[in-house]
Amino acid sequence: MDWNAWITLFEGAWVTLWISGISIALGIVAGFGVAVLRNARIPVISKFLYYYISIIRATPMVTLVLFLFVTAPYLPIDIDRWIIAVAALTINTTAFNAEIWRSALATFSREQVEAAKAAGMTRRVMLRRIMLPQMMITSLPGLVNEMTLLIKSSPAIAMVGLADLTRITNRITAVTYEPLPPILAAAALYILMIGALVRLQRVADKYARRLAM
Amino acid sequence: MNLQDWLTVWINIDRVALGFGVTVLFFAFATVTAFIGGCILVYLMEGRPSFLKTSLRSGLDVLRTLPFLIVLYLLYYGLPQVGIRLNAWTAGMIALSLYHASYYAEILRGARVALPQGQIESAKAHGFTSFRMYYRILLPQMVLRSGPLFGNQLVGCLKDTAFLSIITIFELTAAANDLQAVYFIPMPAFIVVIALYWCISLVVEQALRSMGRYAKHRGLSYE
Amino acid sequence: MNEVLPVIEVRDLHKSFDGVEVLKGIDFDVNRGQIISIIGSSGSGKSTLLRCINWLEEPDSGSIRIVGDRVGIRADGKTPMSEKELASVRARAAMVFQSFNLWPHLSVLHNVTEAPVHVQGVNKDEAIAQAEVWLERVGMLVKKDAYPWTLSGGQKQRVAIARALAMNPEVILFDEPTSALDPELVGEVQGVIGELAADNFTMVIVTHEMDFARTISNEVVFIDKGVVVEQAAPEKFFGDPDTERLRQFVSRYR
Ligand SMILES: Nc1ncnc2c1ncn2[C@@H]1O[C@H](COP(=O)(O)OP(=O)(O)O)[C@@H](O)[C@H]1O
Ligand SMILES: [Mg+2]
Repeated sequence: MDWNAWITLFEGAWVTLWISGISIALGIVAGFGVAVLRNARIPVISKFLYYYISIIRATPMVTLVLFLFVTAPYLPIDIDRWIIAVAALTINTTAFNAEIWRSALATFSREQVEAAKAAGMTRRVMLRRIMLPQMMITSLPGLVNEMTLLIKSSPAIAMVGLADLTRITNRITAVTYEPLPPILAAAALYILMIGALVRLQRVADKYARRLAM
Repeated sequence: MNLQDWLTVWINIDRVALGFGVTVLFFAFATVTAFIGGCILVYLMEGRPSFLKTSLRSGLDVLRTLPFLIVLYLLYYGLPQVGIRLNAWTAGMIALSLYHASYYAEILRGARVALPQGQIESAKAHGFTSFRMYYRILLPQMVLRSGPLFGNQLVGCLKDTAFLSIITIFELTAAANDLQAVYFIPMPAFIVVIALYWCISLVVEQALRSMGRYAKHRGLSYE
Repeated sequence: MNEVLPVIEVRDLHKSFDGVEVLKGIDFDVNRGQIISIIGSSGSGKSTLLRCINWLEEPDSGSIRIVGDRVGIRADGKTPMSEKELASVRARAAMVFQSFNLWPHLSVLHNVTEAPVHVQGVNKDEAIAQAEVWLERVGMLVKKDAYPWTLSGGQKQRVAIARALAMNPEVILFDEPTSALDPELVGEVQGVIGELAADNFTMVIVTHEMDFARTISNEVVFIDKGVVVEQAAPEKFFGDPDTERLRQFVSRYR
């Protein structure tokens, strides 16, 4: 592979990174919202969210991306393809993150909640100062694991015509007629990205275990 | 999204059924082969560490950090450069089995590490040869103990089959895309197809729950 | 005027769990500067009483006042307090738990400053200066930057006591503060509580340590099956109990 091929490859990696990055950030926040909403046990909403999570867990990313892509033209406004990609990844990862947050809420130490109440905290202060900081740490290993799954399914965004790190290898091959080098190079970049997250997950695990002591 | 559109899906239900069949076929085949492959891989890594065992382990670690589609690309687009030409179906079957075997191996290895050492010694004392010991004594326990983790893995494998549409295999997602492209009925086509994926996942979860009850019955409850 | 009002006044308190009455009409006063120990067999309702006092458990009937103000119910005697009102009345009675319940994501110092800064609105520098004074008192100032998971049980409990003191409460409620400790660590926590007693902090202490109750308290209360059976100064309580039940209970601990 020559320099141009490498530069093209990095462009693909960048597409994968920023689309995934935005979706991860949105999905973590939205997942928290869904978890809190589900916890509130509002009849209709809670049933709806239950089905949302159950169905999205079973829907392949390719199918979800395509679904949004082919139905978007029926909406009254023009939607950029990157928005469709981000929407699909976010809808997917939110469902998984909601489950992670919900289990963190459900297993949060009752005793610590009592200590906070006894110290005169209102629910808001307690959620912000005592629960959320700890839930961020205890949920981090799960959230990071979900980030790796998201990146592994991100090649599906090629369905809307975005040249992500996987799809870009086709473009390079179209010029060089040698498919193996760009695919292997792309694989190496995935290993770097996901390997870094796996390492982060181990560190997060260590901190989460400390909190539990 | 009127009645007409839904009727169009109904009239073309054979296309959907074909895609569904292909998806289930890939899913079932890959699940069986990946599971057996995972069991064999863990057996190969049994015993004292050696260079080969360590390399095998690292190889599997690498495989698990890759997206499924890049593995598929490697087999389908990459290998012809070194003279190995696989058709889409073969490449798909091999990629799906190999990729998911690495995950089953990891799940089973986790269960293997958690097994008490005493069991191996008592099995040896009863004169079990090591392969017999592995598949008669250790494997059943490892499998039953990892039950809950299989759920996510199975659904993950089901979802990965959709990537096969990218290398031109006519599976369930391709069927939906086909219908919407010909008749301009994206909503009904995709809703039906997503509902089908959902049904498969519900069946899988139900099957795992039965397996969990069986495990409990045999005194090998999860964790 | 505050001088004449009891710090805690419990009247005819009833509480049931799942149809089983755990507190059967408790009357109970704590005056300023008093140190009251509560003893009784396990399951007799001691924790429930303490938890009702700051509304961690909602009683079925009866009233609780802290320095004259109702807890949990507004002055009209009917309307439940809003969350804010409840929080501010709770802050007047601090609690020390059997299992410490420190907040593990905060350092020792920040465990102590958390409530003053984020509940009482004390200026941060001031809260830190105050926290250091309290930590010095319980002998934990050297560990102010440590995190809870690095501390022994006795150290955790001493931090929990500093955290309670930092709220400048009217009273500190201790629920078996040494029961979760290894025997060799019990002394250091009892020592700290003893020093507070010498300085006339108002305290209510649920404990199974009879010698500790005898030496530290102005009065000892015996609760059995949800009622106050006997309440007396320690000499009388342990030396010449009125009831057979208490006589038996005390003799078991000889
Ligand atoms: N939240 C609760 N739900 C149900 N029962 C409870 C609860 N808290 C306490 N109890 C019951 O109330 C009784 C008194 O408990 P407690 O006040 O903790 O006793 P003590 O502290 O004197 O050992 C026990 O029988 C206990 O099982
Ligand atoms: Mg108790």
